[in-house]
Amino acid sequence: MKAESAQNLLYTILTLPLGVAGGTFRFLNRLRANRAGFIGFLGLLAYFVLTFIMPNYIPFDSEVNLDEIAGPVGSRIQLAVRVDKAELRTFEDLAGLTVGVVDQTGGPSLIAPYADSINIEKYRWTSRRAGPGIRAALVDLANKEIDAMLIFSKTVEEIAADSDDPELQALLAEHIIISNPELGPPHLLGTDTQGRDIATHIVHGGRILILTAFIGGVIATLIALVFGSLSALVGGALDSALTALTNLVLAIPRFPLLVVLAGLIRFDNMLFLGVLIGLLGWPPLMRAIRAQVLSLRERDFVEAARSLGLSTNHIMFREILPNMASYVMINFIFSITFAMYEQIGLLVLGLAPIDDYTWGVMLYFGRSRGTLYNVDGASMALSPVLAIAFFQVCLVLFARALEEVFDPRLRAAV
Amino acid sequence: MTSHSGDIQLDTSGATGPVDAVQRLLTKYPIHKNYNFRVFVQAILTIWAIMSFTFVLVRFMPGNPVDILIEQILTQEGISYQEAYDRVAASFNINPNASMLDQYLDWFADLLRLDLGTSITSPGTRVVDEIARFLPWTLFAVGSGLLISFVLGIVLGMMMAYYRDSVLDHTLSLISSFFTGVPNYIWGLLIIIGPGISWRWFDVGAARGTFDPGLTPGLNAAFIISVFEHALLPIITYVLATLGGWMLSMKSSTTSVLNDDYVNVAEARGLKDRRIITSYVGRNAALPLFTQLSISVGFVLGSGVVIEEIFVYWGFGHYLFASIVVRDYTAIQGAVLVLTTAIVLSNLFADLTYGLLDPRVRISGEK
Repeated sequence: MKAESAQNLLYTILTLPLGVAGGTFRFLNRLRANRAGFIGFLGLLAYFVLTFIMPNYIPFDSEVNLDEIAGPVGSRIQLAVRVDKAELRTFEDLAGLTVGVVDQTGGPSLIAPYADSINIEKYRWTSRRAGPGIRAALVDLANKEIDAMLIFSKTVEEIAADSDDPELQALLAEHIIISNPELGPPHLLGTDTQGRDIATHIVHGGRILILTAFIGGVIATLIALVFGSLSALVGGALDSALTALTNLVLAIPRFPLLVVLAGLIRFDNMLFLGVLIGLLGWPPLMRAIRAQVLSLRERDFVEAARSLGLSTNHIMFREILPNMASYVMINFIFSITFAMYEQIGLLVLGLAPIDDYTWGVMLYFGRSRGTLYNVDGASMALSPVLAIAFFQVCLVLFARALEEVFDPRLRAAV
Repeated sequence: MTSHSGDIQLDTSGATGPVDAVQRLLTKYPIHKNYNFRVFVQAILTIWAIMSFTFVLVRFMPGNPVDILIEQILTQEGISYQEAYDRVAASFNINPNASMLDQYLDWFADLLRLDLGTSITSPGTRVVDEIARFLPWTLFAVGSGLLISFVLGIVLGMMMAYYRDSVLDHTLSLISSFFTGVPNYIWGLLIIIGPGISWRWFDVGAARGTFDPGLTPGLNAAFIISVFEHALLPIITYVLATLGGWMLSMKSSTTSVLNDDYVNVAEARGLKDRRIITSYVGRNAALPLFTQLSISVGFVLGSGVVIEEIFVYWGFGHYLFASIVVRDYTAIQGAVLVLTTAIVLSNLFADLTYGLLDPRVRISGEK
């Protein structure tokens, strides 16, 4: 008995890579026929690159820049000069001249590499937005005390539109122009309420969420698989007990219970949350797997295996499991989407750990700090919203394509 | 006469006590074999189990709310331990001097009288009154949202099945994937960012609450319009988030019904298309969806916690979340009990009505 199962295991391990390679090839070929599913598959690959590979190359922007708060999509640092000096456009042009930058904004770090060739005049930032620091620099620029100035595009717009300060407006209109509107690197998705680049946060904010959802999905699927097949194969009192337990857990309002628990225990890491989501999420899948096994064990090939006197282990792992592997896989993907839904729901409510700066936390701050209600700054909430939405849609498209690609007989049997 | 069920196994030799009488009754009227009865008992047992679980959670878990609250009152008000304990015990409907079993029985008896205790953070407010105040709004929003999406989903799903593998089918199936995939609170945020903030179709701030302040609740036009206006955004969100599921289920259900013989027979008899679609295909294809509808009631009620928070709609979810934020434990306990009961009851409703809707199940259930 032991030798047999050891042999089985060895056989499985040895043939696994071959099977996986061949299966993947055949699967991709069939998937190509289903266009939506193929797009979902490519989308998931793109998300893998975005959240697992790109963070290694793109650093997380944690530098607080006071004048770049809630900048719109594509905003960047610009170069302001006097009207007669419009030919000054790049850092190279500025060699030997005096350039004004304001402390605690994006300017100083941008100009730092050129400190040898350019005289840098630093202005102090005061707490008011576009305050005396920037104003003093602009006045100095108009009075020829400095030759150029680094200024954030959003700030220029604001000063241009600021009707409370006609003096500054007149100064801008008369003496100063933007010679290079594209001096600094663009903020592809704008900046958040602390002037940090949102695009880098999107790159770094997905990995933990996806891992957590994955763990939740794995745990839920494993429990469902074990309970469901035990229930169907052993039957009797165990079946009744497990079915009763499933019905009981199914009656628990899952998301509200998570909300309550989060309010009482205060989750301190995401992985714990993933485990908890998995422990609550298995019942619907358990029912489905139980029904699957019940129907599969009546099939001829299982009958044949049983009449040959093969062990329950053999029947489960070599006859039944391979035949519902695709079904389990599809439901595994759906349980990932549920785990994703629940954890981000908690994050939106501000009840899950906010130390990891994930898409959900961006959403929470985007909403609680009010950027959601401002067209220019909506990117702080909109970017994670779209990142989450497309990830979920890719998962669903992929899972549905799997449903169609694999033999639909199984679904008809449920 | 002998007992013919596994449920009851008693010695019947000559006994004439009440047990025997019950058993004879059961033999004559085998109610314990009745499907509806069993489902009903199961539902009651589930509710009881979860209520007891809540009792244990609130009272006996390490770091349980009762102990935490006593600590809080002790440090804040500097009264004696006994006084603090008595006050907390009164809020929770717990008699501290009784034995554990008596405490449990008392608490349970109060529950049966629908007494869920009083709020901790606003003393004197009965939890059951608060729930009765907030719950109808949520039931209204969730109910109309589910109803609209169910009807829409059935129509669209049937269209997908009738025109399967056409452009219409593929487009609708892609759309349904979008509806299913995107979480409901994400739909809510998209509605706020898109039509609300960017395009200014409506005023997000004005849609808060459940009706405009200054209106008297009642059957007047202004009030009813205002109620619909305020519930509109949550309803749209519930529709968007649940529509995809109905469409897909209805499509596969209709597809299998279309292959059934009786549809061919109906066509051969020359019945009008409209009659075939509604009475023959639609009715039979929609049957399995009713079970799903009642199951999704529980899910959507639960997800109301986020949706109502996003739209600042003052319903049951808002009440639950607000209670969690201020740690009003009796309120949380009451809200969880109501939610659980709602889920169990809607499942029970599905189980009981399914036989009425589908005669085939009724026959096999009686066997």
